[in-house]
Amino acid sequence: MKIKKSIPKKYKGFIIGILIVLIYYWAAKGTNFSLFNFIEGLPFMLDFISRMFPPDISNLGRFLIKAVETLQMAIVGSTIGAIIAFPLSFLAARNIMSNKFIYQTVRTIFDMFRGINEIVWGLIFVSMVGLGPFPGVLALSVHVTGALGRYFSEAIEGVDPRKIKAIFSTGANKIQVIIRGVLPEVKPNFINYSLYYLENNFRAATVLGLVGAGGIGMELLTSMRLFKTQEVLTILIIMILMVILIDRFSAYIRKNILKMEKIN
Amino acid sequence: MIKIKNLTHKYKNEEERALKSVNLHIKKGEKLTLIGSSGSGKSTLLNCINKLIEPISGEILIDGKNILNANKNDLRKFRRQIGIIFQEFNLIERDTIFKNVLNGRLGFVSTIKSCLGIFEKEDYDRVNKALNEVGLFNLKDKKVSDLSGGQKQRVAIARVLVQEPQIILADEPVSNLDPLLMEDILKLLNKLCEEKGITLVTSLHFVQFTKNYFTRVIGLRNGEIIFDGSPKELTEEEFIKIYGRTGF
Repeated sequence: MKIKKSIPKKYKGFIIGILIVLIYYWAAKGTNFSLFNFIEGLPFMLDFISRMFPPDISNLGRFLIKAVETLQMAIVGSTIGAIIAFPLSFLAARNIMSNKFIYQTVRTIFDMFRGINEIVWGLIFVSMVGLGPFPGVLALSVHVTGALGRYFSEAIEGVDPRKIKAIFSTGANKIQVIIRGVLPEVKPNFINYSLYYLENNFRAATVLGLVGAGGIGMELLTSMRLFKTQEVLTILIIMILMVILIDRFSAYIRKNILKMEKIN
Repeated sequence: MIKIKNLTHKYKNEEERALKSVNLHIKKGEKLTLIGSSGSGKSTLLNCINKLIEPISGEILIDGKNILNANKNDLRKFRRQIGIIFQEFNLIERDTIFKNVLNGRLGFVSTIKSCLGIFEKEDYDRVNKALNEVGLFNLKDKKVSDLSGGQKQRVAIARVLVQEPQIILADEPVSNLDPLLMEDILKLLNKLCEEKGITLVTSLHFVQFTKNYFTRVIGLRNGEIIFDGSPKELTEEEFIKIYGRTGF
């Protein structure tokens, strides 16, 4: 497309600057953001934070159990999601699935699953199957199916078509081409994405409790409602430590997988 | 062995036809190379021979049977007797040499078994033999991504050999290699085809190699055959006709 009359260069920066200022003004206005309110509220915030200390560890055992439950939700949810996404992703890869209808349908399902946030899925499943970690696992599984399905299928589409052609040229059929040609090429990607979603799911699972879908988030909500600010701090510390731990663990595994790739 | 009749092809987004009613008869055991500038139709013609490209009209008869209207099963049988070697090697880089060569047997084994990685003892024997013939036996557990260009093309040749093909098609097999390696690979291909009585059809960018390694040269220009003869008959005059310039 050609712009009919180009704007002189020296005005361009000026116009863009004004536009940016306008957008920020519009967004701040819409959210009632005001520096004055923030400064006015500062003492109350500090007061709230000071009331969190020292952290109350009298219920630490229960919180830790819930933290472990959160981790279990993340593990089960990610695994189910990955297992469902894996075969479907081949149906959503243009270079493998020549039937446009199937390809589009599976793609759309992935987008729907992925487009809706885990928390929203949590709300839906809680109202379907009741409170607890089970609806949480379902919520994670559905979201991960969409997300991993999308990434898996993109990885498959990224395989060099000439390599696929080369395997076909030996007289191999489609299934053989997928297993012997495509899979070895996308395997590291698949593992990486899956581990990334394990991390991601743990973070999501901590929040799922807020809608009643199990995990440590439920404890956080309860303590908040009862104004037990010192317990809130304990829970937050547990959450942060767990997230750091999982990130480290997953980074470690990924590094070792890369190493193994190089050795072999 | 291969009879090509009135083969015509046109790519979707292009105005001109890539192949214009090409007729060619290739005899068994012939070592033939297609030459011509890029866009002359060499690659298209080569890829049509095992139907990796489907031409818009014409016939390709292999031992009297038309490959272009073969059903899925027959096509699989056709393809496994035609080995193809590519300019960019097109190997599965993350797999070992051995596994890559084993893929050449896929046209012979059952789907389920091959997907589980189960092959017959004869298949493994064939792979080992082919690796010996291309001189890579000692490296067979190495990953392809760690190999040099020349070694990769040897892996590709081994993959083709285990197909036990009647015909080898090689689409500019040396264009991605160092000049020194080019001769090595052509020599190897030539020797193996000679020994096994395989018909060799290649396309080449570098005309200087035609003399030593081929029995027949086909010159293409704008999708038409304008030269067909022995390497000796390819004179400066013919060269200009094919390439539209000097530089023989």
